[in-house]
Amino acid sequence: MSDAAAICIENATKVYPTPFRRRVIVALRDLNLQIAPGEVYGLLGPNGSGKSTTLKIILGLITPTRGKVTIFGKNNSSVAIRREIGFLPENAYFHKFLTAAETLRFHARLSGLAARAMTKRIDTLLTTVGLAHARDARLSTYSKGMLQRIGLAQALIHDPKILVLDEPTAGVDPAGSRDIQNLIAALKNRGITVLLSSHLLTQVEEVCDRIGILHRGRLLREGRLESLLGVENQTELVLENASPQLLNELEGQIVSANARLIGRRKSQTSLERFYLKVTESTTE
Amino acid sequence: MKTFALLLLILAAVAPLKLKMETDIGANRDSTTHIRHAIDLRERVGQTAFIAILGGFRSVVADFLFIDGHFAWERVDWPHLLMRLRQVTMLQPQMTMFWDVAAWHMAWNAGTAALNDSSQPPLARKRLQHEYVEIGRDFLERGVANNPQNPQLYEALARLYRDKLHDHARASENFLKASRLPGCAAYDERFSAYELSYCEGHEREAYDRLRTLFQRGGKERLPTLIVRLRAMEEQLHIPPEERIRPE
Amino acid sequence: MNASLRRIRAIASTTLLELTRLRVFYVLILFALVLIISSTFLARISFQQEFQVTKDISLGAINFFLSLLAIVATAQLLPRDMEDRVVYSVLAKPVSRFDYVIGKFFGVIALLIISLVAMSLLCFIVLHFRAEAALHDANQQMSQLASPQLSSGGQAIHGAGLNSDLVVALSLILAKCVILAAVTLCISAFATSTIFTISAMAMVYLVGNLEGVVRDYWLQEHPAGWLARAFLAFVAFVFPDLQAFDISDLVTSGISTTGPFLAKLLGLAAIYAVSYLLLAIAIFYQREL
Repeated sequence: MSDAAAICIENATKVYPTPFRRRVIVALRDLNLQIAPGEVYGLLGPNGSGKSTTLKIILGLITPTRGKVTIFGKNNSSVAIRREIGFLPENAYFHKFLTAAETLRFHARLSGLAARAMTKRIDTLLTTVGLAHARDARLSTYSKGMLQRIGLAQALIHDPKILVLDEPTAGVDPAGSRDIQNLIAALKNRGITVLLSSHLLTQVEEVCDRIGILHRGRLLREGRLESLLGVENQTELVLENASPQLLNELEGQIVSANARLIGRRKSQTSLERFYLKVTESTTE
Repeated sequence: MKTFALLLLILAAVAPLKLKMETDIGANRDSTTHIRHAIDLRERVGQTAFIAILGGFRSVVADFLFIDGHFAWERVDWPHLLMRLRQVTMLQPQMTMFWDVAAWHMAWNAGTAALNDSSQPPLARKRLQHEYVEIGRDFLERGVANNPQNPQLYEALARLYRDKLHDHARASENFLKASRLPGCAAYDERFSAYELSYCEGHEREAYDRLRTLFQRGGKERLPTLIVRLRAMEEQLHIPPEERIRPE
Repeated sequence: MNASLRRIRAIASTTLLELTRLRVFYVLILFALVLIISSTFLARISFQQEFQVTKDISLGAINFFLSLLAIVATAQLLPRDMEDRVVYSVLAKPVSRFDYVIGKFFGVIALLIISLVAMSLLCFIVLHFRAEAALHDANQQMSQLASPQLSSGGQAIHGAGLNSDLVVALSLILAKCVILAAVTLCISAFATSTIFTISAMAMVYLVGNLEGVVRDYWLQEHPAGWLARAFLAFVAFVFPDLQAFDISDLVTSGISTTGPFLAKLLGLAAIYAVSYLLLAIAIFYQREL
């Protein structure tokens, strides 16, 4: 069973009837998706493209009109299979009247964790997501970033093999977003399969092994990042401490070898990295 | 979809049981109150409508209307009081206290007030008083129809016939009905006999009943009983050796 | 099954916590005010009437507030969980929809029981206080009477106040509210707004009180016309007979309810509650989240 895909969707179609009209809304059209164990997969697409529908179908929250879904080779409709999956819903607020620790305890009880293991697990997770200082604060006082972190912690409470994240960094500031990305990277290193949806391209490109692009319910493109983004006949060199003389010599060689230099510019950091550098240096 | 169909099937199987139990319980309720058949249709329809509209809150609404009626009494506003009493007894026909109080307000309080109303000519006062007494009697007759097992309402009706309408036969009859019900007062049977002794043509029966009561001895041998019994002995010319002895 | 019970308990206790933190208990304060104000207000009326009326009002108020609580608290549960996405994080765990709905239901029932106990205690305290005051007055008025007569008079006063019939009435109110909660859950399993659920429940309440009349008419009078018959049959099949549980007026007028009769009523309540709950679960299973 270990060679079965972590998540496998076959020909999934979801059609919503619209009340009082003949027309129907097709949220998803013949989707095929295979995610290998240990892989980090990013589902990209604008709002309303069918990302959330796909994730909910995987979790059995909605049933597809046609097609089937298996998790590690087993049908996803059984309740037991959800022991293997952790889910972070989009824009989740959870029970606002509970504290962080109480929220995790509630989800731990739902997952069937033994009472003795619970406290330790909760402490570890709160430290992992960086909420140890706010463990006894009500969620109603939490910022959006903190809510996403507690959401991650509850998704991880039962130590699942698969993590499904719906817009994990939506509404989170860059530093928080970076933390979440680091966490996903760490989970990948532990062999956990991650499926995340996002409309933020940079975030997906940083953490994902493979991406798929959904648009109006269709999967338009899918594949490994470098194969999707690589331009076949072009190569980039990034140099450090190169003298103007060396650069001129290189240009001469390029021309004599019948190749063409398309551009020459100073390397730039991304705005995100710049922002993080500035804010980190002031906080420390 | 399969589970859904299955559940619907289970529910369809439960429905006949539901109907059977409901019908049983409905029958049980009626047999505890003995009312359904005894009251006229118009009254029954009114009660049903109120039950539906007010749900479980009939009793509370009735209480508030009753209190409002109490204030109307304090203001000596008879028409308003009468309206409230009619509503209260309609809402809570099983509360004997409401029928009793309603009749008392009308026959005694409103009636006496009408009699003492100096703004009206004497004949009109008398007629108005009589109307109020009749309203009181109507309350008690309907109260009895709604609660045939309650001795207090028969007693109230008997008192009204005795004190307000001076109808000794009906008074005697109602005291007698009260005396046959559980929870009646100890005097009901005696009072029935006293009233009967004032009815012309019933002297023999009255004498027999007074005599039976007298022979029970003890607490029954009250001064009024002895006085009425002696009066009957006189009227019926009972031979001296059969008469009761002076004590 | 054991694991399922643990999950149901977790959801039920969290639901209870949610409802208490929603400040639904403010309703109880309102209840206390109604009871205390009305009972001081009633001191102006004569003793026997006052007693009767205090009892009526207490039961009526408990009936009213507990029904309100059962409908309003239950109507909010599912929409609130949808809005805060709790339903997703819960159902993504190894929790079946059955566990979820049952857990929510028991959370409401726990709230209803706690509220009923609180309201009844308050009611008993007020009644007891009134009974003591009445007994004191009676003692002063009847000080010349012989002592056996006096003590039987005292018993009559106590009997008018606190008796087991009051407990019967309270348990029937609870049974009715459990049914109301189950029906509310049923409606909110497919409703898209709380307002819809609450207005639908107002209708259910009205029709439920009429069901007995409709049922009798359908079963005994055989009305003409298939449409009328179908409509009556529909009401008789689908709606609960709420009037059957409204014997509080019988109790307040001192008519005892016998044990078997009470058992039958509670059995009917259990059938209603289980049926509507199963229906709620079935509807919720069909729902796209």
